[in-house]
Formats: sequence, structure tokens, C-alpha cells
Amino acid sequence: MADSPEAIKKSIRLYCIVGFILFLGTVITYLVATVPALDIGRHGFDVYDCILGLAIAATKAGFVLLIFMHFNHEKKAIYWMFASGIIMAIALAGLTALAIYNPIFDPLFYSGR
Amino acid sequence: MEIPYIVTPRKDTGLFNSKIAIWLFLASEVMLFGGFFSAYVFLRLGADFPWPERTLPVMPGLINTFVLIGSSVTVVFAWASLKLGNWRMFQLFMGITVACAGIFMVLKGIEYNVKFHHQAVRLPDFTVVEGHLAYEKDEKGYVLNHHGKKIEENMIFVEAKQLNFSTVRFHKPWVEEFISQAEHRNAKILLASDLNLVTEFGKPAVTIGKANEPLSVELLAKIKKAYLAARAHNAELRTDALRLAWREKKAEFPDKKDWELTRDVNVDASKLELLEEVSTVTFNVDPPAKFEFKPRDIKEDATSSRLRDDTVITGPLLPSPMVFHHMDAVDFRHLAMRAKAKGQDPIKAIDDSWLVQNNPFVKKAWEWNKLQVAKIEKELIDGYGRDEQGKPKREPIAKERYRLGWKEFAAIAEGKDRGDADIKMREEFLGPDYAKRGDETFPEFSLPREKVAFASKFTPTWNTYYALYFTITGLHGLHVIGGALVLAYYLFFGRKMFDENPEWLANRVEIGGLFWHFVDLVWIFVFPIFYLM
Repeated sequence: MADSPEAIKKSIRLYCIVGFILFLGTVITYLVATVPALDIGRHGFDVYDCILGLAIAATKAGFVLLIFMHFNHEKKAIYWMFASGIIMAIALAGLTALAIYNPIFDPLFYSGR
Repeated sequence: MEIPYIVTPRKDTGLFNSKIAIWLFLASEVMLFGGFFSAYVFLRLGADFPWPERTLPVMPGLINTFVLIGSSVTVVFAWASLKLGNWRMFQLFMGITVACAGIFMVLKGIEYNVKFHHQAVRLPDFTVVEGHLAYEKDEKGYVLNHHGKKIEENMIFVEAKQLNFSTVRFHKPWVEEFISQAEHRNAKILLASDLNLVTEFGKPAVTIGKANEPLSVELLAKIKKAYLAARAHNAELRTDALRLAWREKKAEFPDKKDWELTRDVNVDASKLELLEEVSTVTFNVDPPAKFEFKPRDIKEDATSSRLRDDTVITGPLLPSPMVFHHMDAVDFRHLAMRAKAKGQDPIKAIDDSWLVQNNPFVKKAWEWNKLQVAKIEKELIDGYGRDEQGKPKREPIAKERYRLGWKEFAAIAEGKDRGDADIKMREEFLGPDYAKRGDETFPEFSLPREKVAFASKFTPTWNTYYALYFTITGLHGLHVIGGALVLAYYLFFGRKMFDENPEWLANRVEIGGLFWHFVDLVWIFVFPIFYLM
């Protein structure tokens, strides 16, 4: 982490650049969603818009995490802690996705066929 | 005792205490918000109604995104200023950060407020109408309830001849409302007959209420007290009698087991000297008068209705339309979806729908929309062409085909095409300017009660989309408030610590800043997911 006064002064420029990227990302997302000429995929909201929107959001989130939250030069213990949170969230979402195999969702389940 | 590692990091981990704590907390926060986002995904994928995509006004969300990004930059600047030992700059940047939090919450408050006042109703054929309700008026002006507030024109009217209160379940504010409404309509609510009850065994009956005594909370409270006393007394008598019966039976058949005796142990309640239990009490309304009830409080019927506190109102149900002072959207998407599921032509189903058949304004708007859809279809074919099978590569979306929102109503009034209406910035925030655009753009609309299948404001009740929107943005808002309070504490009370141990304050601000960045990080996903998708 930038701890010495010189290093911190240098980082300020980086923080400004990241702030600008975040603004830019937001504007791009907004324009793609609202200006028909910039719409990708089919007309209106569709899976391509979804992927693009989430990709931009993930990039923005990555910048906040790496630069503003100093995740790019953190200690190992922090990486493990944060990663385990993310993995747990994804694993539980995956577990929920398995509900598709729940017989209660099968329309024929109670029909006896 | 001095606490170790609050400023200097521990050698093995390289971290100071609060850093570990905040990252553990943030990891748990990832799971919390991750859970809500996955709930969003599953509920959206499994929704049995057309998901209201891109339904929120984007402008407040967009500005809030800029505000939060800006505050993320300033909070990191505030931390850097502390590291450089510059208290003044720290104050400036932290002040901006806290101000940004305030702006964010004010915008969110405005957004919520607009939702809480926007009414939606679903008709039995799944047509949805949106708008703002009118207020009850009579010859004297607006009708006020007993709190002095205006009453929305979404009430159930009953001409009450008789009221039957549950002795124990009556709800005090509703009784007061009955009294106030009767007074307003020059009617009296009077006890139907004398109420003489024995409240203590062995003593003569006492008069609890006399016929024609006016309804009051105190009178009902007295009856309730007598009823509860009688019940307690009777329960005791029954229990004693049962005990005695068991004792006698056991003495008669000492070798038999309990379960063998159960069938023969009975108490004849008619032989017990029980007190009268008055579980309901009847009042007459003289002369019969019109009373109004909130739809959620009453289960209405043609001749006899029941409130949630089990009060039965005898008397005919009067016409109780739901009146929109301004109708600002008609949504046929759900109707179209249902028609398609049944293999019907959605356009014909909408043509035949009750609303199009009975409301000339909607009929006109629907015909206008058909022409608009044809125009969009043509533009898309001209712009993107057709595929090998001859099908257009791009087609109008369901929202364009089947929904007429307030911007479309504005375009109709202005004689323009869809999407070309002249919308002011204020309207982008707060919705249509009814006063300026007038009743021709947003007409009044009266919906008979039997056509109300489900009605709600834009609250979590309306559908799972709004339930998730309020849960996630509400939880996020609480985080904003919490984070702003912590950062404001450093701003206003940090000077002493800065003078004593600046490094310690810098560490604390870094921790507060980490939380603040996380709040921003969550919003980075909330904005596109709720406002743009």
C-alpha cells in the first residue's frame, strides 16, 4: 500500500483516473440502455445488453476494489477472507439453482402420470 | 491496559486489528447482498408475470450513481490528506463525502415518496391501470377522516342498518371511526336491546347497557369485561365438574386404565350453573347510514360485510368505485402474456378487453399505439432488414407493443410519435406534471369495484420486482446512513485524535473508507440491474 507521502502523492493521480473511468463506465451503460442507436443484440433489453451492462459494472467494481480499497496490494489473509465470502455467495446461489430439480416444480408430479 | 496492534500491524499477518475486522465484515456483507441478488435472478427468471424491465425513472438513479462515485473519490482523498498530515484538506474532502451521502438519501427519499403515492390496479382480465387516486369530496369540500386527513377515493361503501361487534376482538380505532362517521352523517348507533348479565355467580344480574344507549368504546369495554369474567367462571365450573367425574369413575373402576375410561367420562354442561357468555353485541344504526371502509379492512358482500376485527355490518353494499384523478398508464403486457399462453391472438384479446371496450380514451390510445407499433416495425425492417426466413431481424418489444405509459399519453396529447414527447427534467424525476398537462392528457377514470382484482400502491405488495427493489435499495440506504454517520464522526470529533496520534485516525478513516467503497460497489450493481435492465 502507498504509505510514504511520496507514494500517496503519486496515488492521487491514479485515484482521479479511476474516478473518471467510473464516471465514463456509468455514462456508457446509461447510453447503451437508453439510446436506440447504441442498443446491441435484439431491439430493446436482451441477454447481450445484460452481459454488457454487468460486464461494465463488474469492471467498475473491480477498479473500486483494486484501487480504492487497495486490494491490489493487500495481505494474503485479506484475499482469503474476501474470496471465501464471494465463493460462499456463489455456492449458495448455485445450491438455490438446484431447486429446479425439486419435484414440486414438476407440473406432472401430482397428476400421477 | 494498552490494546496491541491498533496502529502497528501484527508481524505474522501484517495487519492491524480493525483491518481484519472490516474485511471479515465485508466478506459477510458480500454474502448478504449476494443472497439478495441471487434472489433477484431466480425470481426474475421464474416470474409468472411480465417483469417490469426499465420501469424506474433513470435520472434519479443515474445522479445517485455519480454522487456515490464522487464520494468514493473524495473519501480516498480524505484518507490521503490525513496520511500527508493535512487536517484542513481532510475536513474538506470528508465534508464533501458526508454531503454526498445526504444528497443520495434525499434523492432516494423523493424516489420512494413518488412510489408510495402511485396507485396500480389489476383488472380481472390482467389489464393493469396506473395513476393517482382522487380524494373523497362532498358538498362541503374534501371529506376528512377522524385524523383530519383526506380520504382516497378507493373506499368500500355500505349502507349500514345494524352493526354486530365481537366482544373481545373489536378494534378500538375502528369503533371510534364508526362513531365519527355516524356523527358526520347525522346518524346514531344505538344498543339494540337491554344487556343484563350476571357477572358474579350467586348475585343478581346487573345492567351492563340499556337499549338505545349510544355506542362507545367504554360500553364495549364493559361488555368485554363481563364476557371475560363469565368465560373464566364457566371454565372453572367445567373443569371442576370434569375433575369430579374422573374421580368418581376411577373410584368405580380402579383397575381400568385411563384410556379405557375416557369414553365414559362426560360432563353434562346443561346441569352446570353457567353464566351467560355474550360474545357479540348488536347495535342499530338510526337512521341507516352510509359508512366507508378501506378495502384492506373489509370483506364486502351484497347484504352483509365483515371487518377484520369480526365486526359484521348488515346492510346493502353501495357502489364503491376506485377513482383515479389521473390515469397515467395502461399496461396490457400481462393480458397479452396470458392470451398467448392460451394460444389466443393477444391483439384481439386486448381489442376485446373490458377497458378498451368501455373507455373511449383507452380505445383511442390503443388504436394510436397500433399505428406506432406498425411504424416501429417498419423502421426496424428498414434499418436492420430480414433474416433468411424472411422474418424481421429486430422487432418491437413487449413494452412497445402492449404498454402505454405516461410518456406515450403525453405524446398522444402533443400529437407526436412514441418517444418524441416533450418531457421536462422535473418530470423525469417526479413523474408527469398533471397540473400543467391537464385532464385531457391524463383523464379521470372510475373503475367499478367488481373490476378490481388486485390493487396496491407501488410498494412491495404490488409484485416481487418492487419487493426486491425496496429490500435491496432500502438495505443499501441503511448502509449509506451507517457509513455516513461513522465518517461524520471522524470529521467532527477526529481533531483530538489527529493531534494525539494521526496515524491511528488515518487507520480508522481507512476502515470507514473501505466500508464506504463497499457501499459504492453494491450500488454499481444495483443501478444497472434495477434501473436499466
